[in-house]
Amino acid sequence: MAGIGLRAPHYEELLRRAPALDFVEVHSENFFAAGGAAPSWLESFRAAYSLSLHGVGLSLGSADPLDERHLARLHALVRRFEPMLVSEHLCWSSYGRRHANDLLPLPYTEESLAHVCARVERVQDHLGRSILVENVSSYLQLPGSAIPEWEFVAEVARRSGCGVLLDVNNIWVSAQNHAFDPYRYLDGIEAGSVGEIHLAGHEAQPDGLLVDTHGSVVAEPVWALYEAAVARFGPRPALVEWDTDIPALDVLLAQARRADLIAARVARQAA
Amino acid sequence: MSTLGPTQREFLAALFARAEPRDPGLAVYRRTVLANLGGALAGAFPVVRRLVGDAFFSEAARRHALDIPSTSGDLGEYGAEFARFLAGYSPAGGLEYLPGVARLEWALHESHRAAPAQRLDFGALARVPDNRRTAIRLLLHPAVRLVRSRHPVLAIWQANQPDRDGTPDRAAGADHVLVHRPDLAAGAQPIDEREWAFLAALRRGGALEEAAAAFPDPEAIGPALARMAAMGVFCGFEEPAPA
Repeated sequence: MAGIGLRAPHYEELLRRAPALDFVEVHSENFFAAGGAAPSWLESFRAAYSLSLHGVGLSLGSADPLDERHLARLHALVRRFEPMLVSEHLCWSSYGRRHANDLLPLPYTEESLAHVCARVERVQDHLGRSILVENVSSYLQLPGSAIPEWEFVAEVARRSGCGVLLDVNNIWVSAQNHAFDPYRYLDGIEAGSVGEIHLAGHEAQPDGLLVDTHGSVVAEPVWALYEAAVARFGPRPALVEWDTDIPALDVLLAQARRADLIAARVARQAA
Repeated sequence: MSTLGPTQREFLAALFARAEPRDPGLAVYRRTVLANLGGALAGAFPVVRRLVGDAFFSEAARRHALDIPSTSGDLGEYGAEFARFLAGYSPAGGLEYLPGVARLEWALHESHRAAPAQRLDFGALARVPDNRRTAIRLLLHPAVRLVRSRHPVLAIWQANQPDRDGTPDRAAGADHVLVHRPDLAAGAQPIDEREWAFLAALRRGGALEEAAAAFPDPEAIGPALARMAAMGVFCGFEEPAPA
C-alpha cells in the first residue's frame, strides 16, 4: 500500500499494529536530535518499513550560503538510516540567519534557476546520492517571476539530475490561487523524473485563497489530478500527509488505500 | 544583477513586521509561520503554557516570534531565548518564577535531545594513582543540565505535570535542580546546593580538587560522588597531561 507521513501521535500505534505500507515518510529535522527518544523511534520504524526522509528546513532556494551544519546533520541521518528516498522542497525558508521555518515561494527567474540547480548539485554531491525536490503550494507570486512553475521544476530536474516529488495537492492549490491549468502542469513534467507523489488536504479561505493546511482528507479534484498523474507518469510511490488536527491512524490508512485503488484502476485501464 | 537576496530580505522583513500585512497571500504565510513557531514553543514549554493559559501563551509566543529570530532550520532548536524573553515581557511581570520554570523546561528539552554517552568507567578511575586523582577532570554526561532559581521552580514544574492539580508542594524557597537523561526520557530532580556547586564547577572545566571545594566537609564528597555516579551523571574523565 501507498505510504503515510508519520507523525508523533501515530508512532506507538503504527509499531503495535504494523499495517501493510509500502513505506513511511518522516520529516528529517524531527530526527536531528543526537540522542533521546527520536532516534530510537526511527530505528524501530526503519526496522519495520522502507523509509523516506523528507526535509523541510534546508532552504535550498535561499540566496545566502547553504547551511553546512544542517546538511551535515541530514547526511548523518542518511548514512545511519539508509532511506529509500531523500527529498527537499523547491523553496526557501531563511535568509541572513533568520529562519521562517516555512516553505516560502521563489521568484521563477533564470537567476533562481541557476542558483537552485547549483545548490541541488551541492547537496547531492555531499550526500552522495540523488534527491527529490518537491513543488510547494504558494499564496502569492513574486515580482519578476517569468517562468511557469512546471517549466522551472522540470528544468531543475533536467539540469541537476535530481528527481521530482510531485505534490498534486500543491499543484491544485497553486493552480486555483494563480489561475493556471493544473493538467497543463502535469504535461510539463518529464515522466522519468517523477520519483514520488504527495497527497494532502487543503482548505479554502473566505476570500477564496486555497491554503495547503494538511488538515483534512484529500479533496476530490486532487484525487482526479492524482489519477491523471498516475496515468501520465506510471505508478509511483504515493504518500498521504496530514500535519494539523491529526486524525486517527485509520483515517490516514484509508486515504492511502484510496491512492492504491486509483493506481490499480489506472493500471487496469492501461492493460 | 542579483535580485534573489534582496527579494528574500524584503519578504522576511514584511513577514515579521509589526504591522499585519495587507497582501492576503503574505497574510497566509505570516499566520502559518507564527503558528509553526508558536507550536514549537508550546511543545517545548508545556508547563509555562499551563501556568499562563493558552491565550496568554499564544500572545507571548507571537511577540517572541516577531522579536527574536529563529536561527535554525530545525524547529527543535527554537526556544533557547524564550526564558530570557519572558524575564523582560512586562505582561508576565507579576509571575516572578516564570522565567525560572522556562529555563527548567528548556534544560529538559535540551537534555532530551542530547547525544548518548557511556557511563564513567570506575575501574579506569580506580587505576589512576592516588597522587594524581585530585587533578583529574570528571566529564559530565552530554544530557546533564543544571538549573537553579530563587523560586521553587522544580516544585512548580512537578505540580503542573498532567496528573497533578497545579498546587506545588513548596510555595517558596530556592531550588537546585539536576536535569538528566540516563536512558531515553529526561527527568529533573532536586540536589543540594553543594552538589549543584560541585557539578557547576566541573561544567566550567574545573579539576576534581577544585570542584570538591564546594563541600565544606571532605567526608561528604565520597558519598555524594558515588550517588551522582550511580545516576549516570559522569561519562568519563580526563587526566591532565604530565607536566
